[in-house]
Amino acid sequence: MSGDTEGAVMAENEGKKALTRREFVVGMGGAGVGAVLGGIFVHGILLPDEIVALPASEGYLLVDTKKCAACQTCMLSCSLAHEGETSLSLSRIQVVSDPFAGYPEGPQQNQCRQCPYPACVEACPTGANHVDAANGNVRTIDASKCIGCERCIQACPFTPSRVEWNFEEKHSQKCDLCSNTPYWDQKGGPGGKQACVELCPLKAIAFTNEIPIQGDKGYFVNLRKGDATWLAFGFPDGDNAEYLSAPAAQAGEGTQ
Amino acid sequence: MNGGYTGKILNVDLTSRKTSIIETAKYEDWGGGHGIGSAVFWDLCKDKTVSGFDPGNVVTIMTSPLSGTNAPAVAGRTEVQGIGVQGYPIEWFTRSNFGGRFSGMLKFAGWDGIAIQGKADKPVWIDMRNDDVQIRDAGDLWGLDTLETQEEIWRRVTGELNDWWSTGRGRDNGRTTQRPAVLTIGPAGERMTRVAALLHDAGNGAGQGGFGGVFGSKNLKAISVIGTGGVKVADPSALMAAREWSNKYAIAGNWDNYQPAPFGMGFHSAPGSAAAAYAPTPPIPIGPMGCMACQHNCRVRFGGGQTNGSSCLDFLFYMWDARKHGGKPTQVLQDAVDLVQRAGINTFEMEGTIIWLANLYGMGLIGRGKKIESSLPFDQIGETIFAKQLFDAIVEGKDIGKDLAQGSARAAEAWGRYDEDTASGVLPLQAWGYPQHYDARTEVEWGYGSLLGERDINEHDFNIWVYWVPTVATLSGAQPPMSAEELSELMAKKLVPYSDPMMMDYSDEGIYSESMAKLVAWHRHYTRFYKQSLAYCDWSWADFYNTYGPDHVGMTGEGEQKFFNAVTGKNITFEEGLETGRKIWNLDRAIWVLQGRHKDMEFFTEQNYQVGAVPGFTTFEAPYVVPVHENGTWSYKNVAGRKLDKGKVEEWKVKYYKLEGWDPESGCPTRETLEKLGLANVADELAAAKKLPA
Repeated sequence: MSGDTEGAVMAENEGKKALTRREFVVGMGGAGVGAVLGGIFVHGILLPDEIVALPASEGYLLVDTKKCAACQTCMLSCSLAHEGETSLSLSRIQVVSDPFAGYPEGPQQNQCRQCPYPACVEACPTGANHVDAANGNVRTIDASKCIGCERCIQACPFTPSRVEWNFEEKHSQKCDLCSNTPYWDQKGGPGGKQACVELCPLKAIAFTNEIPIQGDKGYFVNLRKGDATWLAFGFPDGDNAEYLSAPAAQAGEGTQ
Repeated sequence: MNGGYTGKILNVDLTSRKTSIIETAKYEDWGGGHGIGSAVFWDLCKDKTVSGFDPGNVVTIMTSPLSGTNAPAVAGRTEVQGIGVQGYPIEWFTRSNFGGRFSGMLKFAGWDGIAIQGKADKPVWIDMRNDDVQIRDAGDLWGLDTLETQEEIWRRVTGELNDWWSTGRGRDNGRTTQRPAVLTIGPAGERMTRVAALLHDAGNGAGQGGFGGVFGSKNLKAISVIGTGGVKVADPSALMAAREWSNKYAIAGNWDNYQPAPFGMGFHSAPGSAAAAYAPTPPIPIGPMGCMACQHNCRVRFGGGQTNGSSCLDFLFYMWDARKHGGKPTQVLQDAVDLVQRAGINTFEMEGTIIWLANLYGMGLIGRGKKIESSLPFDQIGETIFAKQLFDAIVEGKDIGKDLAQGSARAAEAWGRYDEDTASGVLPLQAWGYPQHYDARTEVEWGYGSLLGERDINEHDFNIWVYWVPTVATLSGAQPPMSAEELSELMAKKLVPYSDPMMMDYSDEGIYSESMAKLVAWHRHYTRFYKQSLAYCDWSWADFYNTYGPDHVGMTGEGEQKFFNAVTGKNITFEEGLETGRKIWNLDRAIWVLQGRHKDMEFFTEQNYQVGAVPGFTTFEAPYVVPVHENGTWSYKNVAGRKLDKGKVEEWKVKYYKLEGWDPESGCPTRETLEKLGLANVADELAAAKKLPA
């Protein structure tokens, strides 16, 4: 998937370290701006090197792959709430699992990060992919404006792209934190509920209003530590190399 | 709008390598899964008396209208039917099913199911990519184990997938990030053993019936399916609301008020409850693993990945490991389970077989220079070396494996030990050659259901509440969550239309009663429709008692049809579903009659009549504490030691036949009964075969 190298190299300061656009997008590049601008109603601000900062989303999905059972309830509920059918291909969160991989490997929970600097929004030539001020600045797509060029899909710096092609209706679509769910009778969006969060059987997806640290560390979090119910199942809460169940770890029985 | 069904079933003739489409609409009244499978089998299998190995055998692999939806504990299960090769003495038309995501992926590819006829002239696999179906050469897959086969097919279809994959170029083609769902056999199936399973992903197996061997006889190594479509839902908002509603009955909806369930099965049970206890010592990390859209996620993913997804009997068959190694499972168990799953051997058959071999060894009858000659290391039962040599012998048809590949019943016959060993219980078979699962002498609904059917029923709806919960409570000194009287009252509310509290009476009198006939009939009808046709998972449904339900009352009677109606747009009542179950049960019964079923052959093995139920002797039972109604009072009572009275069982069978509208002399459904169910054509075929009661 492209998106890694295209775009200009941004000079942070002339003669100092240069960041690629991908580094800016994936890493910390936009977080500071978003954090500063969070809550301030602006459409954008012109930064040096013509990078436009947009108001930060007021909501984000966090995941814990070590909690995920790969049941895909989130995916099927997502597509049902949004499209009225259950389809893995139309889900705006993509859980992929190798059934033979050993714990803690196996499930991947590929959620949209509602990037502070959203490459998908920037790439859209029609404004279809936009920051929705009416719904907590969530990055979303107005299907009626989408011309199907798929630039946003290509621009997403993550693999698989968090923007997906709805081949049934011929437009791009992405996570809107359930701000527009015609088939779910709940208030969604950053100020409401998200179907994947609500229905995940393991509580492996969480919602936060705070901008995560930009990078995997900010979005892939430990939702197990301190979760008494999780620990009651006998599953581990370790963060690093140690994944034994808490009681076993306390007893010092073996190591990974 | 109608939803849930894709509208088409793939019909594959392996002999001609041609495919065609069967319109689902013709069969929709059967619900899905088993109901449609039986009806399709009835229409396609011209001679229902052939061997399961015969090319004329028709195997159906069916989804449910709920497959691929977000309905809980149902969306991933797939029903398999056809003439099995495990049944004894007759290879009964039978069923099995498995979890995972195969059925969901079939639906996403646009198919409600698959019917397979004929026999390929050389090994093949079926490659389904949405509408595109290819029968491909499997010469280079033949010989691979079940894990290797799946990984190789993944590589061939999508490559090393870590991105969106498209069915073709262009914007009209569907895209997915998912791996194909593969159903495969291992070497045990290729060798056409009667103890071979179908495997899918990690640990999802359809073992009973021996369909692995049936696939092998058809030269069919695997079926792969990848789909990029969706399941149309008649009332999406109602389905979302139903899933939210059901969450109130699950841990997910009560996360901060978690209460351990009385037993590790049921809708309210904890993740990993089917497998976590089998993690080895010293411990390895484990995490939850679930089937499509499951709220329970009962299985686990192990550190290192070995035996991922295996559960329950996948491990229990070799708890000899724990017996030999200080009472706890060790790495030996992991290795044994890995071997059996890779070979594609039915673990349930191994459960009974290894008990029998251990008994024969203890009796000095098997081994080097013994009456039954074998070089297997019987003194190493409980070690990896014995498991490996046993499985190798079965797959390669060498040593005693040559006979054991035919199943323990046929092996016992070949060794001249069937009558003696099934009468003593040394060989723990219950009926039709299937190893005993739960004891017919104590938990009779399990035994009766198996006897009236064709296989070990493996349906825990009542087993949890009439056996496990009171037994475990008794062993631990705790009070069951319901008294026996409360249980009888709850079941009277749930078990419509009978609504008879005496259905819970497992006393010496109650087990032969009309009420017990009603219980068994309800169970047969409920499972045939809701669990085997709509595919509700046995590990979560029925939901009678629920830890989180209002007054601890579970969803059964309301939940099952709520999801079905939301998805399909139909508007059935719970009792209408039960009636469809009755219809399916009668069609199955008619097929068995054509195959030779008669009242005069419906007997348990002799141990059930001659030997008292001894906990721990046969499989893995604990003391048999069950609800009884004696002297006007309900209580839980240990009925260990009980034998069945053969004469009373025969009388009970007649009560049951009459309740079902079957001929009391033969046990065959009558024309009147079949016509009431809309099965006049079935009556006609029975009459033509001179099998219909006068």
